Amino acid sequence: MAAVATSSESLNPLMARIAEGDRGALRQLYEATSAKLFGVCLRILSDREESEDVLQDVYVTIWRRADRFDASRASVMTWVSTIARNRAIDRLRARGPMAYAEPVEELEIPDGSESAEALLSAADDRNRLSHCLGELDDRTEKVIRTAFFEGVTYEALARRMDAPLGTVKSWIRRGLAKLKGCLQS
Amino acid sequence: MSEAPDLSEAEALAAEHALGVLNARERADAETRMAQDPAFAADVEAWRQRLAPMLDSVKAIPPPSDTWARIERLLPANDNTLANRVRFWRNSAMGGFGLAAAGIVAAVVVAAQGPQIVTQEVPVQPQGQLLSASVVSQDTRVQPLFVAAYDPDRKQLIVTSLLPEGSERDKVHQLWLIAGQENPKSLGLVESGKAKVIALPAELLAKMSEGAALAVSLEPPGGSKNPDGPSGPVIGVGKLSRL
Repeated sequence: MAAVATSSESLNPLMARIAEGDRGALRQLYEATSAKLFGVCLRILSDREESEDVLQDVYVTIWRRADRFDASRASVMTWVSTIARNRAIDRLRARGPMAYAEPVEELEIPDGSESAEALLSAADDRNRLSHCLGELDDRTEKVIRTAFFEGVTYEALARRMDAPLGTVKSWIRRGLAKLKGCLQS
Repeated sequence: MSEAPDLSEAEALAAEHALGVLNARERADAETRMAQDPAFAADVEAWRQRLAPMLDSVKAIPPPSDTWARIERLLPANDNTLANRVRFWRNSAMGGFGLAAAGIVAAVVVAAQGPQIVTQEVPVQPQGQLLSASVVSQDTRVQPLFVAAYDPDRKQLIVTSLLPEGSERDKVHQLWLIAGQENPKSLGLVESGKAKVIALPAELLAKMSEGAALAVSLEPPGGSKNPDGPSGPVIGVGKLSRL
């Protein structure tokens, strides 16, 4: 995917056209973003078929909600990725409690250290967040990443980690506060 | 990392909601609060922005080549004609009056003919879905005038007017539900700057589905004299969508 195709400059005008009911514009947005969003669905669901279903739902949602996109509050990429994440998590939750049976310690957690190319752009948002997540203690980082990618509730996290609910809650809240402080610094 | 100050209770909740650790009941409460409390909604949005870069590290994987064709088949035939529908309404309701005149004329404006609503069938979603809408100005298409959240468990709609208190003067704001091809259903009057909880009767619950819309019209005191829809200009409209 060419970087230019997913820039705000090229995607923002598409959103206004989609809100007006322009299918061609939705098609263009699809061309520019579908691989990324399919990746997000797969990352969360680990199931191709379900991810395909969810991806369809995501673009129908974008079609319906395009009039609510606000360029001053979010980039198009962030906005559509968040929809994909939320829809995939909805699907994961619909699988029922079995989906949460896995203990946190055994989850595969991306370590945030990536290609040399990514390291070169250390100033961008992703790397700042990665860096700040890395500054948290390992347990808190894992819990936050797990919650983000799986939509696991406090209750389920507490069960999985065999820790009291209040303790898990305070880990996350403290972690989030530190994260904010780090991102602002 | 140096010690960070604790988040305020409201911001902590916003962050938890963005992260996704709240249970179903708490999520519903948070969504309701977002509809009533713009500062809280902004906090949630800011946290979504903060956390979203985690998604950037996910590898892009092209979906199967027939996916677009399947999406296109799922698109509602003409879902985005809402603006046209409302424009039509406004024209039929306003008759010869200009929009500027509407702001001054306090007289009851009765449309010569009942509004005709040109719509496509809106697919009905299963009940039990949290929905929200941001009713934006028909003129700017951006400025939100009202926000609303529908809670299916409590069978209620919470609507908040974002207009300055007392700004309606000799007019009132009437809220409408537009679903499918039926005439708009009145949901009552909403005072400027106030939030209101509307208990929905059973016949309206089934119509609260994604793709239906809320609209707000400017009406004489007491509301529209037309039982089948607004009599005054429609100032804002917004589609209901899943959260």
